[in-house]
Amino acid sequence: MNIRMDNAQRLGEVIEASTTDFTAQCFELFQSPPLGSLVKTIDESAELFGIVCHATTASLETGRRPIARGKDETNDEAIYQSNPQLLQLLRSEFSVLVVGHKKNEKLYYYLPPKPARIHSFVYLSSTDEMKEFSQSFDFLNVLLNSHLLIPTEELVAAALRQISQVFEDPYSFLVTAGKELAILLGGDFNQIKTIMGKLKQ
Amino acid sequence: MSLDLSKVIPQVGGMITKLKSDGEERQKHLQHSLDILCNQIDNIEDLAEKIESSKTSWLVAGLTDRLDQHYKVFPVPPEFTVIATDGSHIDVDRHQSARCYLINIGTVMLHYGISPHAILNSVPHLCSKAEDLVITPTGIKGREQPIEGNLLGIKRSVEECYQLVKLAGELPQNIQTIALVDGSLILWSLEAYPQFVAEELLDKGYLHYIEEIRKLNSDREIALASYISFPRSTDVVNTLRVAICPHGSPDCDRYCSTSDRRDCDVVAGVRDRDLFSNILGQGDRSSVFISRSSIVKKWYGIHQIYFFYLKVEDEIARIEIPQWVAEDESLLNLVHTLVLDQCQRGQGYPVALSEAHEKAVVTGVDRENFWQFVESSMTDDHLPTFTSAKSRSKRTRWI
Repeated sequence: MNIRMDNAQRLGEVIEASTTDFTAQCFELFQSPPLGSLVKTIDESAELFGIVCHATTASLETGRRPIARGKDETNDEAIYQSNPQLLQLLRSEFSVLVVGHKKNEKLYYYLPPKPARIHSFVYLSSTDEMKEFSQSFDFLNVLLNSHLLIPTEELVAAALRQISQVFEDPYSFLVTAGKELAILLGGDFNQIKTIMGKLKQ
Repeated sequence: MSLDLSKVIPQVGGMITKLKSDGEERQKHLQHSLDILCNQIDNIEDLAEKIESSKTSWLVAGLTDRLDQHYKVFPVPPEFTVIATDGSHIDVDRHQSARCYLINIGTVMLHYGISPHAILNSVPHLCSKAEDLVITPTGIKGREQPIEGNLLGIKRSVEECYQLVKLAGELPQNIQTIALVDGSLILWSLEAYPQFVAEELLDKGYLHYIEEIRKLNSDREIALASYISFPRSTDVVNTLRVAICPHGSPDCDRYCSTSDRRDCDVVAGVRDRDLFSNILGQGDRSSVFISRSSIVKKWYGIHQIYFFYLKVEDEIARIEIPQWVAEDESLLNLVHTLVLDQCQRGQGYPVALSEAHEKAVVTGVDRENFWQFVESSMTDDHLPTFTSAKSRSKRTRWI
């Protein structure tokens, strides 16, 4: 399985996991995937798919907060040049909401039997995987019913924007997704309007 | 409640009143000191001779230059490296079933210039073998010194120096480098131990590693220095005591052992840092002085310890260097420049030392986890684990 993943873009490593979500530490500082990206991690029996729902960059150690250092510097890059240790003291993390899994080549749009494995790698899904995964919009239901640190509408719109980019006609994909959302949200016109407003690129 | 603060508050009040009155007295003494220092400017050779002939009960600095001399900092080189180590340890605990200790050394390499980069690391070392736990003199049976308490602190300093040598050895040759440790290069506490302990830890350990760093200078520029923040030393103020001593060759035991008031007490309570905060400008360093401590004279040889004071923002720091750094103008200037630069990058304290400390630190929770892990590992291997009743009592508190 690892051989198959060699060409995929490795983003980070799972450091915290539960049935509904997992958190990964980026291998490179500030290199967290864009909000709404479809990512995956591989368990011994299944591939777990999820949507990036939050990202942070903070001190490695609680109790050691970064301080402002740039008063006498000409630009922010100069701060890192003058303080090379900073890159070793900060870490970027991103959180992923699990929206489905693949087992025996079949996609399931519900939670996997087990959470992601700690220290397993997280990859950015390929174009083909994104196209395959978005053949069904069932994952939107998971996103809409989750308690997140950001507004649900932000995440739904971000995920649709990200996935739409792999299609030759992103607009057509978004129209189809909009129709699906109208069904899922029923009469909640305000929520649909909010999401639609954020789909413009 | 374990500490009744309400009973401490009046005592703190009393302490503050005393500090206030002492402060006024010390200010007068400081002014005296500065006046004496000004008077000594032209008699430096006479003073140096008087110091050499003195037998004092306090430590007096050896002179290499005028007392009030100060030097401006040189520009920072375009490319340079700073390496530093600091240590922390878990001491032998006689209440635990396993007799062992752990030394954790934080190591830091910071490279500045066109491609700045950093390597921060920690090197934990668990010591439980018989030869790690005691020092025994070569060829003499029946004598041994257990490594714990203060001696473990000294052993840790030796390990810090060893890791510094390892870091230094891995650096490219063409980059100017300073190697920093925290605290004094003089292992004072060894004075309390038998000769064979000093031989093992100082001669075969600490000084051997300092020599390794010195030898690296054959094909590169690398200076060793230690940084003492907010020093309490009075070596230079004591040169003023010698200066005002009415006796040609001061001898405290001979002339002043029974007197209540000595002439030199007009500078009592003044520390070197008080003196130099009035002499040095921002970023300036003082003259270089020589430590005349007995342990240095006896053991340090070509690594005899010199020191200077450095004004960093609102603080005076004491920088200690071996003789071969003090006598090499280029290395001396490198230490002055780069230590000041490190302090400016690190909010007043060298950033490399600060990060080495962060990598070395062993918290109370770490200590607890360590002993728990040792105990559970012993249990897993069916080894008997005896802990003292006192240890159990501290862990499980009851009413």
